[in-house]
Amino acid sequence: MRLLVVEDESLLRQQVEQGLTKEGYVVDAAEDGKTGLYYATEYDYDAAIIDLGLPEIDGISLIKKIRSTGKDFPVLILTARGDWQDKVAGLDAGADDYVVKPFQLEEIVARLNALLRRAAGFAKPKLEFGQLSLDISAKQLTLNEENIVLTAYEYKMLEYLMLHPGQVISKTELTEHLYAQDYDRDSNVLEVFVTRLRQKLDPDQKLKPIETVRGQGYRFVLTGA
Amino acid sequence: MTQQSQSSDYSIQTRLLISVSILLFIFLGLTGIVLDRAFVTSVEAGAADRLQVQVYVLLAAAEYDDDEFYFLEDFQEPRFGQLNSGLYGFIANSKSGEIWRSESANSLSLADDDFLRTPVSVGESLFSKTQNSEQEELFVVTYGILWENGISEYNFTVMETSTPYYSEISNFRTSLWAWLGGVAVLLLLIQLFLMRWGLSPLHKMARDLKQIESGDHGQLQGSYPKELRGVTDNLNLLIKSERKQQARYRTTLGDLAHSLKTPLAVIAGVMQQLTAGKDSDNVDTRKQLASVDEQLARMNQIVTYQLQRAVQANDSSALARRVNVAAVIRKILEALGKVYGDKAMQTTLDMNEQAVFLGDERDLLEIMGNVLDNAFKYGRSRISVSVQQSDSQSGKLNIKVTDDGDGTPGDKQEFVLQRGARADTLAQGQGIGLAVVTDIVASYSGEIAITNLDAGGACVEMVFDFPQTSI
Repeated sequence: MRLLVVEDESLLRQQVEQGLTKEGYVVDAAEDGKTGLYYATEYDYDAAIIDLGLPEIDGISLIKKIRSTGKDFPVLILTARGDWQDKVAGLDAGADDYVVKPFQLEEIVARLNALLRRAAGFAKPKLEFGQLSLDISAKQLTLNEENIVLTAYEYKMLEYLMLHPGQVISKTELTEHLYAQDYDRDSNVLEVFVTRLRQKLDPDQKLKPIETVRGQGYRFVLTGA
Repeated sequence: MTQQSQSSDYSIQTRLLISVSILLFIFLGLTGIVLDRAFVTSVEAGAADRLQVQVYVLLAAAEYDDDEFYFLEDFQEPRFGQLNSGLYGFIANSKSGEIWRSESANSLSLADDDFLRTPVSVGESLFSKTQNSEQEELFVVTYGILWENGISEYNFTVMETSTPYYSEISNFRTSLWAWLGGVAVLLLLIQLFLMRWGLSPLHKMARDLKQIESGDHGQLQGSYPKELRGVTDNLNLLIKSERKQQARYRTTLGDLAHSLKTPLAVIAGVMQQLTAGKDSDNVDTRKQLASVDEQLARMNQIVTYQLQRAVQANDSSALARRVNVAAVIRKILEALGKVYGDKAMQTTLDMNEQAVFLGDERDLLEIMGNVLDNAFKYGRSRISVSVQQSDSQSGKLNIKVTDDGDGTPGDKQEFVLQRGARADTLAQGQGIGLAVVTDIVASYSGEIAITNLDAGGACVEMVFDFPQTSI
């Protein structure tokens, strides 16, 4: 999943960026509202973390501008003030949740997971598709209640596909959401991941959870519980 | 109550009314007295003139022979010949006293007849008063004459009862004081009307200030007389300055919060890294890290609490605004609906749409934000919000928020309202939300209470007793 972090305090921005990257997210970081707006409108993100007290364009104005361009990815606001006027203003402007500074990184990750899950239309903490169940918080996949071990990128890819069930996801989109910009990617690596996932999820080849749409991309075809 | 405080309780209108009443009383009283004296003098002068004429009547009719006065003709004034007519004539001299009296005076007995002997210069008239034996007052005119023989001097005296004259004076007095009284009442009424008109700009200013206090207006509006313009202009400046200062205060506090809490967040992040690092395997290091972590949490709690309640340092009722309660609650519910999207809470609203909170909107946001956030956090699936106000747009405001969670343990109900208290360790947040709410409610002289519902869940009830706006 690809995230945008907009925070003017450099040390804090680095901490958040590094912490989220460790959690498996692809993170782009901006230090002010203007840069944040550029990133948000130019690239496709799954979620954004935006500080309210930003230079150039303040957090609330940034959120409003992002929404006005039609981007509807979830936004988690960071606020130092913590008063309800700011929280309500931020949520009213288009944000989806808030975290008050100082925070634990786990809190940000937990809220992000919840936002991503809800944005995909899932109300429960686990994404359930028949025999398959993906716990986003624990990053654990089970098949018939048996844990399936996935590599980091296998998990990232499966998570992205399962959060967009029924949608055709192009290779380009998958690449942008799974890898950092400067990462040296092999264009065939996605096919390798898909093959491995099919083997692990569907050893009997009965479920066929991932469909290849020729010339377009991949689609997770199982329906939710 | 001391005399000094009693006198300071009188309104300007009362003071002016009392002053004018005293002045009117003195003026009209003196006028009445002067007019009365003048009339009495005039009446007496008139009486004296009439009696003088009667003296001439006596003189004209008098004949003197052989040391005796006699009258050959009837008097032109018949009352001299009627017994006890009220008009009496006397002739006397200083040596012998009374020489002759008219028939009307035959049964008249004077209390003191020495005045008959009092010498009066020839050609001079002397007006005086005397009494008969029944103490009935008589006007007296005595005229001194030198008889034709050129030797004998006599006093011709005419008396008349003063009763008719005093009756006339009494009628005049009654009429005079009645009219003066009526004029006094009329003048007082006119004065009252003029005072109300004259003081109306002050009443207008009082009404405008009340409207500013209740939040209907931002400053004194309309035109005022030039004498008050200095006051109103300065008041408006003061109000503007006060609002700017409040805004500046809030901005400064907000910036301070941002300045303090961001470094705290950085330190928290570093602490996390240290805790997860290899060195943290050492027990002592773990203890030290835990200690630093704890102090960080305390610092954060203190900063959050003090900054959130610091804006309540001033009297919250000053320059109050009228805030629609239902609108604020809906805003917060919409926001919390997003944050707690997973819970799909059902919300029941029973709100007086006209209810107003007399204060700062931010304060109401803090109160309702914290209370509703707790309800969403601890509730299972249902929340209800009730807003009632005793009178339209003023008076007692009652806000109740209930949830269907586990409720608050009885021994913790007061505790959670105290600063920094947390009834459970599982919930997220700093645990100071309700303590901040308590402070804000107290700053508006309101009351807050937490109770448990019989059906399960907690109820937070707040009551604000705002003054009725009387304009």
